[in-house]
Amino acid sequence: MSSLRRFLIVSILSVLMLVNFIAALHGYKSSMAEAEKLFDQKLTAMALQLSSVPLRSQNNSPAPDNEHMVFQLFNADGKLAWRSVHAPDQYIAANEGFSENNFNGYRWRTLSYFNFVNGHRIMIAERMDLRYRLAERVILESIVPVVVVLPVAALLIWLIVGHGLKSLELLAGILRKKAADDLSVVSIDNTPIELTPVIASMNSLLRRLDDSFERERRFSADAAHELRTPISAIKMHLHNLRDEYPEHNSSLNSLERDVDRLAHLVEQMLLLHRTTPDHYPAKFESLSLAALASEIIATNYADFSKKEQSIELHGDEGRVSGDRFALRIMLQNLLNNAYKYTQRGGFIKVVIDTGPDSVRLTVSDNGPGISAEVKSRVFERFYRVGGDRHASGSSGCGLGLSIVEHIAELHRASISMSEGEGGIGLAFTVVFPLSFVFGELT
Amino acid sequence: MLLTSVIIIIREVLEAAFLISILLSLCVQLNLTRHWFKWSLAGGVAGSIALGSQFGWVSNLFGGIGQELVDAGLQVFIYLCLLYICFKFIDHYFKPSASNATFRAILTAVIACAMTREGSEIYIYLLAFQDLPEGGISLYSGSIIGFGIGLSCCALFYYWILSFSVSRSLLLGCVLLTTMASGMMLQAAKMLIQADLLPDGQLWDSNGLLAEESLAGQLLYALVGYEATPAPAQLMIYMASGLTMAGVMIARYQYWRHRQLPKEANQYGN
Repeated sequence: MSSLRRFLIVSILSVLMLVNFIAALHGYKSSMAEAEKLFDQKLTAMALQLSSVPLRSQNNSPAPDNEHMVFQLFNADGKLAWRSVHAPDQYIAANEGFSENNFNGYRWRTLSYFNFVNGHRIMIAERMDLRYRLAERVILESIVPVVVVLPVAALLIWLIVGHGLKSLELLAGILRKKAADDLSVVSIDNTPIELTPVIASMNSLLRRLDDSFERERRFSADAAHELRTPISAIKMHLHNLRDEYPEHNSSLNSLERDVDRLAHLVEQMLLLHRTTPDHYPAKFESLSLAALASEIIATNYADFSKKEQSIELHGDEGRVSGDRFALRIMLQNLLNNAYKYTQRGGFIKVVIDTGPDSVRLTVSDNGPGISAEVKSRVFERFYRVGGDRHASGSSGCGLGLSIVEHIAELHRASISMSEGEGGIGLAFTVVFPLSFVFGELT
Repeated sequence: MLLTSVIIIIREVLEAAFLISILLSLCVQLNLTRHWFKWSLAGGVAGSIALGSQFGWVSNLFGGIGQELVDAGLQVFIYLCLLYICFKFIDHYFKPSASNATFRAILTAVIACAMTREGSEIYIYLLAFQDLPEGGISLYSGSIIGFGIGLSCCALFYYWILSFSVSRSLLLGCVLLTTMASGMMLQAAKMLIQADLLPDGQLWDSNGLLAEESLAGQLLYALVGYEATPAPAQLMIYMASGLTMAGVMIARYQYWRHRQLPKEANQYGN
């Protein structure tokens, strides 16, 4: 993933550095050329001065002792009449005007000048390395600040880019902290113009999403609630029909089964809606899972007994912080599932185990279990293993485990599915973390 | 001194930095990890100091042609690595997957070697001139300017490659890697000519048209191995290595295209 901040800083700094350095180089080259001209002008002036001085007085003057600059003065007869201390005693072979030569172990910039008035020739030369060094020293004074100021420019760019991206980072922070169920609109103070359409589109999307969730919630809750009344009426009429038409008992039995199934579906849909973690009004209290399980087993014992199933409750008290109504539904659904899908004469076991950081609730059976391929789908809404053709022949609507999952989520618990004892049957394990159990309770 | 430093440093920095920017940008485009990069940087710096500090010893190897042979050896190694890298880039383009350890090791090695070769020359240059009277500020200012220009060019180049689509980036990257790799073989040939292992000569002199020392000349030198006065042996090696690399990549590309065509045909029920 590429970073916008890094891209801006690196690109701006690169462009700035490239432009500045190329400009500095250009300035350096131009300044060096100008310096060369100035040095040449100085040589010309000195050559003019030397060539115009009468030779008699020169002979009386002491020879200048300068190792950076040397000269030779030839009289009208072409004889060397005067020279500086470090100048060679032989004629410096150079063309008329400016040229570059090697002598005395250095490279020199030489001017050969002929004075037409008195017939004197002056050869004056300056060491290239020294004049170059001198020029460079002066020019570097203007280049070094360009190089030195770059880290300061980098720091300023870093701060400016950071300031420019502040709104974007603020928005990212708000979105990061937003809870999954928080569909409230986002607002930032002093929103930049560039970010306004993004925030407007996002808020519009959040509003539409919130409305659509609300509609979905209302629809399933209202539909389930509204269906309860006619179902009760149908049941009542069914009862009356039994009395009026005892000869149609078989058809009425089928009808009753279907009405019961419909009533169950409606109840489950209502429960699914009510237990949605986003809007479940949970009332957490300290309760014992073992006591709750024992109560549910006792209530449903007649059903287990009818199928000749044995049911056992093992383990400790399993004290958790939970919503009694929700946990009751969860246990009821898990036991109901085991009851429905375990064969006649089967075995169901509830184990509660309090560990150092969690409470584990396991409901296992020795029923047929489920294949590995469908394991990932059992928590899906309306999904039933084998559908209505399941070997158990029991009816259902496929919402039970979705409700269990909702309730586990409500208690920050995790739910998993595995094989039952000895690799036979099915086991559902719900792990309640103690950090939630005791942390949030207090 | 300043100008000389700038030219020398740019010349050394550009080649390795262009290589880094192309490889990194292609890794980004092909969703490949870039964790190897820090190791290659560390290896490059260590290699530069090691080779630079042992320059005298290395130069005296093989009867005084050690430096040329080591340099040529590194160039040939980089060429072979780049050949493998382009091959793998095409594979990753057609079949996206995580890069394996060998590929990451070769990416690390190629950048470490390129940096070692260029870095050791910078190290020697700075060490040799820092005590001269005309050194000092002009040497370091020139070096910083050279580094700055080289790194800026490459940072912009990196983002320029990233601005293309994946297929265009891959095409551009592979073409540039081919010309760069061929340029390295051309330099390897130059080293072997200097060691009198290959015949010398001069085919042409294009300095008048584009001076090798100019900024444009340096850019072309780094990207396509521009040489103003190439010898016949250099040109032959340049052409042969370039054509070989291009041929291998085209063959690999065609291989993947043919493997994909039947799948596409099946999708339409043929």
